[in-house]
Amino acid sequence: MKLTVNGRSYDVESGPLTTLLDVLREELEITGPKAGCEQGGCGACTVLVDGEPRRSCLIPVGAIEGASITTVEGLGEPGRLAPIQQAFVHYYASQCGFCTPGMLIAAQAYLDRGGTDDREAIIEALGGHVCRCTGYVKIIEAVAAAARGESFDLARTAEGKYTTLVAGDGR
Amino acid sequence: MKAVGARLPRYDGVAHVTGRTVFVDDVRLPGTLVVKALRSPAHHASITRLDVRPAEEMKGVHAVITHKDVPLNVYGHLSALGIPGDEPLLAEEDVRYKGQPIAAVAAEDEDTALAAVEAIELELEERPALLDVRKAFDPDAPRIHHWGNWYPHFEGGLDRRQIRKGDIDWAFAKADVIVQGVYRPAAVEHCPLETQTCLAVPEPSGRLVIYSCTQALYFSMGVVAAHLQWPLNKLKFVGGTVGGGFGGKVDTASDTVCALLALKSGRPVKWRWTREEEFLCSSTRAPWHMEIADAVTSDGWILGRKMITLHDSGAYARFSPYGVTKHSFHHTGAYTIPNLHFDGYVVFTNRAPTTAMRGFGVTSVSFAVETHMSRIADVLGMDPFELRLKNANRIGDTSPNGIVYTDPSTVPVVQAIAQAVGHELKAEYRQMTREMRSGEWLPEHLVAQLGNPEEH
Repeated sequence: MKLTVNGRSYDVESGPLTTLLDVLREELEITGPKAGCEQGGCGACTVLVDGEPRRSCLIPVGAIEGASITTVEGLGEPGRLAPIQQAFVHYYASQCGFCTPGMLIAAQAYLDRGGTDDREAIIEALGGHVCRCTGYVKIIEAVAAAARGESFDLARTAEGKYTTLVAGDGR
Repeated sequence: MKAVGARLPRYDGVAHVTGRTVFVDDVRLPGTLVVKALRSPAHHASITRLDVRPAEEMKGVHAVITHKDVPLNVYGHLSALGIPGDEPLLAEEDVRYKGQPIAAVAAEDEDTALAAVEAIELELEERPALLDVRKAFDPDAPRIHHWGNWYPHFEGGLDRRQIRKGDIDWAFAKADVIVQGVYRPAAVEHCPLETQTCLAVPEPSGRLVIYSCTQALYFSMGVVAAHLQWPLNKLKFVGGTVGGGFGGKVDTASDTVCALLALKSGRPVKWRWTREEEFLCSSTRAPWHMEIADAVTSDGWILGRKMITLHDSGAYARFSPYGVTKHSFHHTGAYTIPNLHFDGYVVFTNRAPTTAMRGFGVTSVSFAVETHMSRIADVLGMDPFELRLKNANRIGDTSPNGIVYTDPSTVPVVQAIAQAVGHELKAEYRQMTREMRSGEWLPEHLVAQLGNPEEH
């Protein structure tokens, strides 16, 4: 059967009951989507299936023959980051990084359907995505900034040239 | 100091958002076998029969290991400090917690590995289990550990971490009121998004390469080398990319089993725990049982504290003695109490071994102490902020373990909290500083404990 992943066409050899997550990770070696729980509970395996965010660990690949899949690798590359990726870097929305691929996919889907910087709407859109490190605040800030169309000069971030947060504090 | 206060980027930020970060499970090697473990279905039992031959004979199974395959099976996470080991890598005569590994297999694929585990013949004779730390400490509790029900190897042959300071009998004779409390925070699972994962790869040179999710790489290397009875230079560890740890990846949980299976099969082997294994079998933050009795004056001075702490170590010691030691140093919290009698025990139960988690040993006692401070204020009918400020650590005060404070933050922090919540403090508390005690803040009972901060 055929699948399109990040714009490239693949002939999939795994059986129809193999999960989409296993096809991506084990057969195609596209390892952005993570196996966090394999029960649909954590969101780390989320990918876009024909534009919709879905849990790849719960989808038998036979059920989506011919579908177009977008993983985190398809959002943008180093040097050519998508706005949501830039926002995640700028706002420190990623700590250990394990939930990040799923978070980014859910956030991108939210932006694609015209999501705004409304906090409650963002929380609703990211519901079911578990992050153990950040406490979610920075993730919500990043998605809100991307929704407002803010852009970030990451080259300046990398040079440490952003204004200090505690300028003038004498201690 | 260019970095202080500056908005520096994460070095791994771009890799994280592009899916380029390589976690252990993302490493791909041709011919990698899948590892699964036979784990104890009982909390506490004798193993009366274990036969792995049916698994070994299955097509697609490349290696099966039991305790007989481990050069040094019984080891301890504190063995490097000279403490005797108590934990088998794979269970021998008995199992002491549900989920304890008994055997492990490496097979062509996951289905074969699971079927092989299923095929292993295991018979158990269940014994009573102790799942509560306080009950495990009862004199008539069944004995569940060969050292007895608590750890006996503190310095000087002591069976507890103890602190004796000042004159506790004087404090309790002098007190207007004794305020008691019992505090029992529960276990907490670290719940990293990345479950325990290891990939072990045999090299033609005879060395092993181990891709580890450990939080403590050189420590894990030492543990694997000890079990294998190998020199360190035959091991190459690749680590540093951890999909969440929070203390739960300090213990070496999967690396040694993978190392042995890689050696026995001659193939790369990978073990990725399921979410169920992570919840049921991985270490947790410990449950604790803490009892505090404070000798208090009616005007709010804490003259002395008696405290007993039972730390639930689970089935084996691991790092728990270290956690209880830190706990003991912090058992007066942010406050100065001159007369102390503290006993901290590392108690064994039939729970999964407990370990570090964000403030190992200290968060439990902070919870107990702060709750107890508010309880004292309630009993005395005193403002809880003023009680805290009165007994606050000041420059020159000494900690339970004799450290003289040179930079204590209790006074400014409590004042800032009062301000933040709009709590009106009396003038003498508003004007209090953290400088050395004097005048009304230096009652006679706090004179002898004062140290010289200049010497520290």
